[in-house]
Amino acid sequence: MTDKILKVKNGDTVGSVNDLLKDLLNSKKVQALLVMQEVPSKAMAFPVLISNPDKLNSNVFAPVLPVSTASIISKITKIESSSKPIGVVMRSCQIRALIELVKLNQANIDNIVIIGIDCLGTYPVNVYSDFPENTTPTNYLLSNFPKNSNDIKYLRSACKSCKDPIPINADLLIGLYDMNPKKELLIQINSDKGKKLIEGIKLDSAKDTKNREISVKNIREEKNKNRIDFIKEGGKIKGIDALAKFFDKCINCHNCMKVCPICYCKECLFDSSVFNLEANKYIGKAEKKGLFKMPNDSLLFHTTRMNHMVVSCVGCGLCEQACPSDIPLMEIIIPIGENAQKEFDYSPGIDIEKKIPMVIYKEDEYQEVGEK
Amino acid sequence: MVINMEEFEPKIVGFLCNWCSYAGADLAGTSRIQYPPNIRVIKVMCSGSVDSVYIMRALLEGADGVFIGGCHPGDCHYLDGNYKARRKSVLLKSILDTIGLEKERVWIRWVSASEGQKFADTIKEMTEEIKKLGPNPISKHWNI
Repeated sequence: MTDKILKVKNGDTVGSVNDLLKDLLNSKKVQALLVMQEVPSKAMAFPVLISNPDKLNSNVFAPVLPVSTASIISKITKIESSSKPIGVVMRSCQIRALIELVKLNQANIDNIVIIGIDCLGTYPVNVYSDFPENTTPTNYLLSNFPKNSNDIKYLRSACKSCKDPIPINADLLIGLYDMNPKKELLIQINSDKGKKLIEGIKLDSAKDTKNREISVKNIREEKNKNRIDFIKEGGKIKGIDALAKFFDKCINCHNCMKVCPICYCKECLFDSSVFNLEANKYIGKAEKKGLFKMPNDSLLFHTTRMNHMVVSCVGCGLCEQACPSDIPLMEIIIPIGENAQKEFDYSPGIDIEKKIPMVIYKEDEYQEVGEK
Repeated sequence: MVINMEEFEPKIVGFLCNWCSYAGADLAGTSRIQYPPNIRVIKVMCSGSVDSVYIMRALLEGADGVFIGGCHPGDCHYLDGNYKARRKSVLLKSILDTIGLEKERVWIRWVSASEGQKFADTIKEMTEEIKKLGPNPISKHWNI
């Protein structure tokens, strides 16, 4: 499938993508679009579901991830998938999360067309809303491009340790790498869905994409290196003393679980009354140790959450962003995820056909675990 | 605090599946096979039903070891519960390893209903191994 080029008019990268999105809505090939749009105050950008092209004033490059787009697709499609196609503009981590949710039967993408964007990283919500530089966060990021994204200030640690900023399972991809975002963007067609979507829309054909492939390879290598360094650093949290210290600030609010795209349970075990004991049992517990901290079970919550979601963890870092105590959760979640996924030779969000490790087994595997 | 290893008697929480390991433990008892009284048995319907939360809770509450007993591979009453239990324990051990908690405190073993002797031997072996490891360091933390 030949790739296309989107010409950027007057150096307005965001506006030119908006024109393309408007064309998509006008062509009626998508009934609605889910895309990041700045709120009127410009202090934040949120995903909006938009059906009227005249109201579209989105900013697909707004470098902020306040909520999981994947969770929103899950919310929209879980009861019943849409009868008409919905186009969704997503970053790579959210596409990975969406693929995991599909495998967990929590989302249906039959009628979803995924439009991926090359991700340059995102800022924490508070940095985005009160941006310290004399420009908008979007302009700041785009004008720094193509500098290695890890050199750019303020990025979330999840983005610094990102596994792959270039979407893999997107039907259509809006490419930045090897492009000049002030002049032109790559429109890569990756599937029949994407081909159908773009049909009839006037775009130039892309010339040689060899350089793009080299750029993508380089950025992936760069990212991988950063990630390995990040894991090495995080891997230093070892033992119960270090662990207790790491979670000392946890106030048991469970925000990390609520924002996690993979934590999909309707009611988390830890929000239920399972761990509520009779007063005498609390006293018994106190007598055993002499004292214990209330609310209790915060480390139990975190270690259990790790067990439940880490195999599918896509490293989006929403847990860390949602933490009111600023616990640098990625430092522990990323190494745990990496090791656990390696154990099962599994890479979340990549292959939609490959089953999640916890639902399958082989009869003759891990024999050393059961018998010495 | 100096711990006298002679006096340290580990507390082991054992999750035994209803169909095999629990029956195996029963057989050990009715056959009057001696084994260390360090294990506290909790009967579960299947080793596959032992979620990591139970294991972590036992460890964080200060249990010195956690034992999961299931049917032999291929013999699960629910066909594949023990295979899933095995994968879960691989995941748990991987996580414990990464965060530097002792994965050696978690054991998963297959004991059938006819293996009373094996049950007794396994518990004896585990008790000795846990004695070597010493008390669970988590138990002294009140702030977790």
